[in-house]
Amino acid sequence: MAADRQDVTIAEPRLPESGPSRRSLGRGGRLAAATAGGTLLVLGLRQRSVGGVTATVAGGWLLYRGLVGGRADSDTEGTRSAGEADREDTTAAVETTRSVTIGASPEAVSERWRDPETMSRLYGGLLEVEARSEDRWHWIASGPLGASVSWDTRVIEDRSGEYLRWESLGNAPVDSEGAVRFREAPAGRGTEVTFRFRFEPPGGAVGTAVTDRLGIVPESLAAVVLDRFKSLVETGEIPTLESNPSARGAGDAL
Amino acid sequence: MRALCWHGEEDVRVEEVPDPEIANPHDAIVEITATAICGSDLHLYDGYVPSMREGDIVGHEPMGEVVAVGEDVDTLEEGDRVVVPFTISCGSCWFCEQDMYSLCDNSNPNAEMARKVMGQSPAGLFGYSHMLGGYAGAQAEYLRVPFADVGPITVDADLPDEQVLLLSDVFPTGYMAAENAEIDEDDTVAVWGCGPVGQFAIQSAWLFDAGRVIAIDRVPERLAMAREHGDAETIHFEEEDVYDRLLAMTGGRGPDRCIDAVGTEAHGTGLMGLTDKAKQQVNLEADRPHVLRQAIKCCRKGGTLSVPGVYVGHADNVPVGPLMNKALTVNTGQTHVQRYLEPLLAKIEDGEIDPSFVVTHREPLEKGPEMYETFRDKEDGCIKVVLDP
Repeated sequence: MAADRQDVTIAEPRLPESGPSRRSLGRGGRLAAATAGGTLLVLGLRQRSVGGVTATVAGGWLLYRGLVGGRADSDTEGTRSAGEADREDTTAAVETTRSVTIGASPEAVSERWRDPETMSRLYGGLLEVEARSEDRWHWIASGPLGASVSWDTRVIEDRSGEYLRWESLGNAPVDSEGAVRFREAPAGRGTEVTFRFRFEPPGGAVGTAVTDRLGIVPESLAAVVLDRFKSLVETGEIPTLESNPSARGAGDAL
Repeated sequence: MRALCWHGEEDVRVEEVPDPEIANPHDAIVEITATAICGSDLHLYDGYVPSMREGDIVGHEPMGEVVAVGEDVDTLEEGDRVVVPFTISCGSCWFCEQDMYSLCDNSNPNAEMARKVMGQSPAGLFGYSHMLGGYAGAQAEYLRVPFADVGPITVDADLPDEQVLLLSDVFPTGYMAAENAEIDEDDTVAVWGCGPVGQFAIQSAWLFDAGRVIAIDRVPERLAMAREHGDAETIHFEEEDVYDRLLAMTGGRGPDRCIDAVGTEAHGTGLMGLTDKAKQQVNLEADRPHVLRQAIKCCRKGGTLSVPGVYVGHADNVPVGPLMNKALTVNTGQTHVQRYLEPLLAKIEDGEIDPSFVVTHREPLEKGPEMYETFRDKEDGCIKVVLDP
C-alpha cells in the first residue's frame, strides 16, 4: 500500500562505514578479555548513543569473562573471543527475550505499556518510537554518520492485561516483530513481564551500519527496555546519569 | 564545583567539574559539609574495582545541607541538615519493601552491566564504579541524591558532624556485620580487621550480648583502639598464628561467630598469600580471600561467618569443603543502610555510642589525595579521615 510506504525511509551513511570488526577483539585469555572489556566499557560509556549502550554492555560481559575466566563447559574457550558467542548471527537478525517482575497488577502494567509516552521513554537512545494511532507505531533506528532506517508496525494481537504482539507492515524495509506477555507473579509479587523483540534489518551499507550499533549484544536491548519499564512503573522515574558530573564533563552513558 | 576524581591506580586529584543538577523528580542536591574516606575507597585507589573510568568522582560517606529538591520530594526541604547513606534505594521495589535496601531493583542505571557479572544487579552506590551505578561520588562540594525521600536522614544541628557522619556507612556496616553474625548471648566473636568497620563490629558485638570479642590485625594503633575502646582481646596476625591462638583461647572449639571486616585486599601470609597477590596483579584472580579462608578454618562447627568486607570479583582456593562439612552459615551483603539509620541515630542521641572515636584526621578536600595515601599506608596513626569540601 502506498499509504504505508510513505512512512518508510532509508538513509545511506554519509561516509563509507568501516565499522568495528566483529572479530576484532581477538581470542583471548582472561587478561585480554578483561582489558578489552574495560576498553569497550569505557568506549561505550563515552558515547551517548545506541552504540554506547551496546558497547557498554558488551564491555560488561567481557569484563565478566576477565573476572571469572573461561568456563570448563564452554565450547568457545580457546577458539573464539570471549564475547563472540553472544554476538554471532547478528547480521541476520537481532532476537532477544527477557523477563522481569514488576510490583503492580497485570492490568495496570499492561495499560502502562500501551501508553504512547511510555513507549518513547523505554526506547530512548536506542530507537525512536512514535505512536501513529492506537495500534500503529513508527520506528526509526539510527546508525553512525546519519545512516537510519524506519518502519511501521501494527498490533496484530491484543489481549488486554495478558498479551500484546506487533509486527512490521509487509512492505517495510525492516522485518521486525515484538511481543510482551503479562502474567500474574506468585506470592503477590505483581506481574511477570516477558518481552520478545526481533529485528531483521535490510542488507547493504545501511543494514550493516544499523546492526553494528544494535547488534553487538542484542539481548541488551530487551534488558534495558524492561529495566526502564519496571523503574517507571514502580518509582515513576527512570534512573539516569544524563547530567552526572565527572572530570570528563557532565553526562554519562545514555 | 571542586571534586576528588579518580584517574587510575594511586591517582586521585581535586579538580573543577560541572555542578550536579536535578535530573529526576525524586532527586535532591546536597551541599556537602563533611565527607569521609572509606576503607572500600582504597580498593578503588589501589585499582582493584572493575568498571571505573578516568575522571569519576569518588566518595560515599557524606553529610550536608539540602539546597534543592525535585518536584516529587516530600520529606526534605532546602536547609535540612542530612546524612546521606552510600546505598541508593528507591523505597518502592520488593527488596526495599523487605528492608533490603542495598539490593534495590531500580537505582542502578547500569543494571545490565552488573547482571553480566553477578546474575542480578544490586543497588546503585555513590562513587563506586559504573557497574554499581556510575553515580558521581560525594567527595565533592555538591551531590545529586536520587530517591531523596528514601535515603537521607535529617539530624539536629546540635550533634557534631563527626558524631553523625559515620551513619552514612561504617557504623551501620559494622552493626549489620554483628547482626549478620547471629550472636547469641555469651558467644565468642572474632573480628578480622580493626579499621573503622571492624571497630564498629566490635562495639556492636557487645550490643548483641557477646561474651567475648577477639580482634585480629597487625597495625598497633588499631589493635590498641580495639583493646582500649572496644574492650576486645587482640591477636597480631604477623606475630602469632591466628588459628592456633584462637583455638587456644576457645578451648579448641573456635570462635562461635567470625566477622571478615577486611575483604578483597587481605594481607595473606605464607605461600598462599604471595600467590594471591601475584595472581591479582596480573588479573588472574580478582580478590585475595585470605581472611575468608582463615575464618572458615577457625570458626566453630555450626558457627556463623559474617562478611561486611568488600569483595569485587572471584577468588581462588576458597575452602568450600570445610565450609560445607563444618555446617557454617554465611551472611553477607552491602549494608542496608536505610534500615539502621533511625535506630542507630537514636543510640547516638541517647549517648549510648559516640562514633567519632574512630576519626583520627580531619582535613580540607584539597588534601584528599595526600590523605588517601596516608590512610592506605596506615601512616600517622590514620584510622578514619574526614574531608571538608
